[in-house]
Amino acid sequence: MLRATLKGMAARKARLALTSLAVVLGSAFIAAALVLTASIKTTVDDLNGDSYAGSDVLVQPVEPETAGERHVRDGVPADTLAAVEAADGVADVSATVTWMVNAIDDNGKVLGGFAPTMAVNWGDESVDRELREGRAPESDDEVAVSAQFVADAGLGLGDTVTAYSLSTDETVYDIVGVFGYSGDRDSLAGATELAFTTVEAQRLVFDGRDMYTAVALTAAEGTSAEELLRTIEPLIGDESTAMTWDAYMEETNARAAQTTNLIGYFLLGFGLIAVFVSVFLIANTFTIVIAGRLKEIAMMRAIGASRGQVIRSVLAEALLLGAVASVVGAALGIAAGAGLTTVVANSFLDTGGSSLTVPVSAPIAAIGVGIAVTVLSALAPAVRASRIPPVEAMRSAAKADKPITVPTVAGAIVTAVGVTGIALGLTDSFGSDRTDMLAAAVGAGLVFVGVSLLTAWLSKPLVSLLGLLWSWTFAGKLGRRNASRNPRRTAVTAAALMIGVTLVTATGTLLTSVEKSLASQFEDNIRAELFITGPVTSSVPATFDPEVMDDLREVDGVDAAVDVYYDLAQIDGTEQYVNTSSDLPGIVEQFGGELLEGSMGDIGEDGVAVNEWSANDLGVGVGDTVEATFTRGTEAHELTVVAILADNEETDGWYVSPKYAEEFYTPEPNLGLVDVAEGADVDAVTAEVETLLADEPAVSVQNHEEYLSQLTVFFDYAVIAIQLLLGLAMVVAVIGVINTLILSVLERTRELGMLRAIGMTRGQTVRMVTVESVTIALFGAVLGVGTGLVLGWIVQLALVDSGIDEFAVPTALIAGYLAAAVLVGLLAAIAPAVRASKVNILGAIAYE
Amino acid sequence: MPLATPPAPPIVRNAVTASGLWRAYGSGEAQVVALRDVSVAFASGAFTAIMGPSGSGKSTLMHCLAGLDTTDRGTVNIGDTVLTGLGDKALTKLRRDKIGFIFQQFNLLPTLTAEENILLPASIAGAKADPAWVNRVIATLDLSDRLSHKPTELSGGQQQRVACARALATRPDVVFADEPTGNLDTRSSAEVLGFLRKSVDDFGQTIVMVTHDPSAAAYADRVVFLADGQIVRDLHGPTADSVIDTMRDFENAVPLAGKAA
Ligand SMILES: Nc1ncnc2c1ncn2[C@@H]1O[C@H](COP(=O)(O)OP(=O)(O)OP(=O)(O)O)[C@@H](O)[C@H]1O
Ligand SMILES: [Mg+2]
Repeated sequence: MLRATLKGMAARKARLALTSLAVVLGSAFIAAALVLTASIKTTVDDLNGDSYAGSDVLVQPVEPETAGERHVRDGVPADTLAAVEAADGVADVSATVTWMVNAIDDNGKVLGGFAPTMAVNWGDESVDRELREGRAPESDDEVAVSAQFVADAGLGLGDTVTAYSLSTDETVYDIVGVFGYSGDRDSLAGATELAFTTVEAQRLVFDGRDMYTAVALTAAEGTSAEELLRTIEPLIGDESTAMTWDAYMEETNARAAQTTNLIGYFLLGFGLIAVFVSVFLIANTFTIVIAGRLKEIAMMRAIGASRGQVIRSVLAEALLLGAVASVVGAALGIAAGAGLTTVVANSFLDTGGSSLTVPVSAPIAAIGVGIAVTVLSALAPAVRASRIPPVEAMRSAAKADKPITVPTVAGAIVTAVGVTGIALGLTDSFGSDRTDMLAAAVGAGLVFVGVSLLTAWLSKPLVSLLGLLWSWTFAGKLGRRNASRNPRRTAVTAAALMIGVTLVTATGTLLTSVEKSLASQFEDNIRAELFITGPVTSSVPATFDPEVMDDLREVDGVDAAVDVYYDLAQIDGTEQYVNTSSDLPGIVEQFGGELLEGSMGDIGEDGVAVNEWSANDLGVGVGDTVEATFTRGTEAHELTVVAILADNEETDGWYVSPKYAEEFYTPEPNLGLVDVAEGADVDAVTAEVETLLADEPAVSVQNHEEYLSQLTVFFDYAVIAIQLLLGLAMVVAVIGVINTLILSVLERTRELGMLRAIGMTRGQTVRMVTVESVTIALFGAVLGVGTGLVLGWIVQLALVDSGIDEFAVPTALIAGYLAAAVLVGLLAAIAPAVRASKVNILGAIAYE
Repeated sequence: MPLATPPAPPIVRNAVTASGLWRAYGSGEAQVVALRDVSVAFASGAFTAIMGPSGSGKSTLMHCLAGLDTTDRGTVNIGDTVLTGLGDKALTKLRRDKIGFIFQQFNLLPTLTAEENILLPASIAGAKADPAWVNRVIATLDLSDRLSHKPTELSGGQQQRVACARALATRPDVVFADEPTGNLDTRSSAEVLGFLRKSVDDFGQTIVMVTHDPSAAAYADRVVFLADGQIVRDLHGPTADSVIDTMRDFENAVPLAGKAA
């Protein structure tokens, strides 16, 4: 029997190649995901290893427990540096001063982007900076810039650059040098650097105090890092802490791993979706291949092969195919992972080289999953094939479709259970929020599975309906009939596309709904027409001179202009958003806030207003006192709650006296609200505000739309990310449709030959196959869009309590998906259509 | 010099003519010559059967005549059209408009109803079949109450009758049938053959049919015998018995190189 299997496989190379493609793709994705994740991790680790490379012990300031990442910190004091420098066993010391700054580019705007702009001290030797042009900064008004800065800011040697930090005003520096990094790199992980004299760097970072961000020590010959650490520890004060470089790396890498693991899960998710979709493809291909071999199987049965032998022969074929295909897939995946690592390393991390790491898990998982999926997918068709009585298969070719009752009934039940779960979950029937959420989530999953099972049943009416689009030509009519000819096959093929489109539509719908809900709450609440604000990505939060506000109030057509200062403060030991303004009642009015108790006027010096939600969170009411420490504050202030605001997305947080602004992270206003008078020309006011802001490089004036789009910019990235997901699903779907069509064309060779013989042209044949292809693809997309919309809607309903109270349909995206489906159909049709049009008429109509 | 115009000779128009056809498959040692210098004409409005042992070249001849296969040498005419040298497009159009086909099996598209199958060639051409004619054909074939059925819901005989109707629906110059009754029982065969005969008698249809069955050949006006790629006998007004006699006669005369399967 095995020999017969092998011979059979050799005779059907084309079909096998198609089946393998699905397996190859699935395993390749898994292998690529694992390799890419591991390699990015090694690359990032190597990158981290660049900092303080070669040192043995690191002295750093103790991080205040309550400080966030962006806290203005203290450094290692100069006397600590002097003490450790003099210690026994220290060979070399390098002291680093570095923190984020804002620099203004050649367009007069603050340099933004995702990688930060850093100030460093040139004297620091813990990083391998290599001067490329000019010289090192020698006086405090000179700066050397990284090559990345030259590229990003459009400024170079001989130009001047304006930079400022939280503690300094805008200062103009002469660019006297341009540097790169070891390995001929322009940047470390894309960051731009400005290197100053140590004194100037300290002015920017520590407000002129003689402090250091870190002190790196190299042990003398014969002294181990641990010994050095023990020597140092008694010498440093309470405000500093020391650790070996190895321990530091471990900590840094562990922190980085949180991000890289996240990327890994994301990629693995892609891989799993590819595998999930491949299951459909493989099962489908085996079903079709076996259908084409019914006679052969029947003949085997007739000459005495048992049912078990039939099953085993199909499974043996699957095993062999799965093994070969997944080995190929694993190899391709590893290669792709290597390629992608290089791309990521060069374009995002700028590491000047990448470290390829192939974890053992990559080939094992890829091959294991590939084989398992293939064999399991072949099981059902194999069992079905073995059940066919020999006589039936020996009979003539025209065989009726198999009934689809079982999947339909199962699908209907699963969908019904799912819908019930969702309904119960959304109506809070279980009493506990967790259980309700779980019920709705499980329900949504079941609906997804149920609809997948129902595709065969849905395919008949839906495919014929969609096919009507092309029925005006006869070839189109035939194509439409062919598409609805085998509902099971059409359904499974379309399901591959449906899965991807469902996922992206659901996410897209949810994101659009969130965006719309935010936007309409914003519109409802906010009274100001114009906002003065900077890019969310600038290294130092954008601020402006509060005096601008006075000029703004003078502008014709401006009713009110309110400045807003933000801080992330510690209130009763928890992190809370704090606002202030020179016009506290004005801020509430502009934000559409509503006072429940007390008045903003009572805040005075030591009062605080708070929105209801935050008050409940801390369990305080009017008259209670709270302890507040602001980011730059050195001591806690006792504040009395004097007013409670109604909950509203915009007024969220605490309101304190403007006198505390100087203890805020940024002591200048971050946001200006401009209320334009009724009937005034908004454009004219905008233009005038713009002129007044000419000297404020960090901020610009924005209308509602611009302001909102900035707040929701991350959604746009999320949408792009899910489009990638769709792209992947599309690739798999194309292969699936090609697979099905080629097999259908092979199966219908006689029919095609007959059609060609009685006068169907090649062009008509091509059109017929193309229509079938496009119809199947559209069917998948339409189902996916439908299911995705429902799932997105359910999640939105579940989030109503969290303020996502509006449902929005991402129409442009959906139109895009449908267009993409048509494209998938067209692409997938090419090979099968050409094949169909080239059918050898004589060969096709020759009798057996 | 005024002369009385002589009476015109009865014009036997030929629907299909072939002259000097050669067709070989393969090359070198393995070469099989399927047709060697075949010249034959099929009269318009006549029912001609082609007979011969298996492998004698009957199907090949038919395919060459119908523009489905190319010839190595010789010419084929369908009506006024010379097939030799025509491209795929022109041949496809010719098959669509001038030729009807009935195959042994796989004649019908399973996705279409009987009626749609009958109208298939017209649909492919994007033309409308003459409804009166189609109705007449359908009535003659006794298919009126089967029109909305799918092929899987029809018996083999009914399927072949639908195929006949399809072949005739466009009023082609000639209908080629390759063993149309090969898969049918005696009764269904008789129905189909009876209809083919009738279509020649009543509608003046030209039919060329390949068959192995002497009693089927007896329905024809003429039987052409092929052996080893050559025409060996030409029998007019056949009966089942005369066909059997002729076959026995030439099978003895022509030694077949052991290729009859
Ligand atoms: N495509 C081909 N390639 C090679 N040889 C062929 C091909 N088609 C036909 N032949 C050969 O040409 C010869 C004539 O074949 P053909 O099919 O015309 O015979 P036939 O008379 O129709 O036989 P049957 O009664 O069995 O249908 C045979 O020897 C056959 O093997
Ligand atoms: Mg033949």
